[in-house]
Amino acid sequence: METKKIRDALADITAEQDPTLKSAKLASLCSALWLEHGVELVVVGGSAIEILTEGAYASGDLDMCHATGAMLPMTQRKEIMGLLDAKGGPRNWQIAGMYLDLLGPVESFARTPYRRVAAPYGNLLVLQPEDLLVERVLCSFYLGESKTARDCAKVLASVALRKEIEMNWDEVRRLANLPEYRNLPQCVQLVKEVADELKIKSPLHPD
Amino acid sequence: MNSKSKVPCIPIEGSISWADWLKGRRARRESSKLVAPGVIRRKTSSSDRRLKKLFNGERGLPFTPTGKL
Repeated sequence: METKKIRDALADITAEQDPTLKSAKLASLCSALWLEHGVELVVVGGSAIEILTEGAYASGDLDMCHATGAMLPMTQRKEIMGLLDAKGGPRNWQIAGMYLDLLGPVESFARTPYRRVAAPYGNLLVLQPEDLLVERVLCSFYLGESKTARDCAKVLASVALRKEIEMNWDEVRRLANLPEYRNLPQCVQLVKEVADELKIKSPLHPD
Repeated sequence: MNSKSKVPCIPIEGSISWADWLKGRRARRESSKLVAPGVIRRKTSSSDRRLKKLFNGERGLPFTPTGKL
């Protein structure tokens, strides 16, 4: 990417005051730059949930992982992030008025593709909502009840049930049966609860 | 075609254009707020120190109101 294009993008992201747009644009720019070096990045965690749901959940840090097996050496990371005037490193940076955390290799059990947004500075990959939903349901009860995690699961279910994100419900069922999660009853219950609120039939509920 | 079907969906296969993703923001927010009203951002986390320093005591920028999406 040309230096001028990077400068212009950085100015745009720095001036952006909408947290979700700021996060999506920064993820787009970083993804494009890292991809030039053969590493594909994916947005995970709360930032991913925000991009998929607009649920007013994410904080001012963007979490990304690398989807490709290999990671760049520290010197190369420093070089790339230096183009963005990033402070810190080698895994956490302050850039354009927010934080970016590069958490390592992505952990995803879903067989569906990452969701893809053709964002202004390059394609932006987002962790599969199937995995996010099952993981948030797990987080909502396994260390004691977490209302925040439960709210996140509910917004994902709501946006999916209203078909604003395409969710593979068979994949949700498969994931929830995996040893890593084993929370199908809780997933079925939460999706039914949301479906009932929306007066929609739950795709996970047996007839 | 009813108004609901005009909301662009984030698909499983392929990508959603930036324009369509922007166009769907309000509908996604409205769907979210039907089941989890208000701001559901965590009150605390291990990143509090750096976040609150950067965002004037908050954990991030304020969310854009639904009406302005």
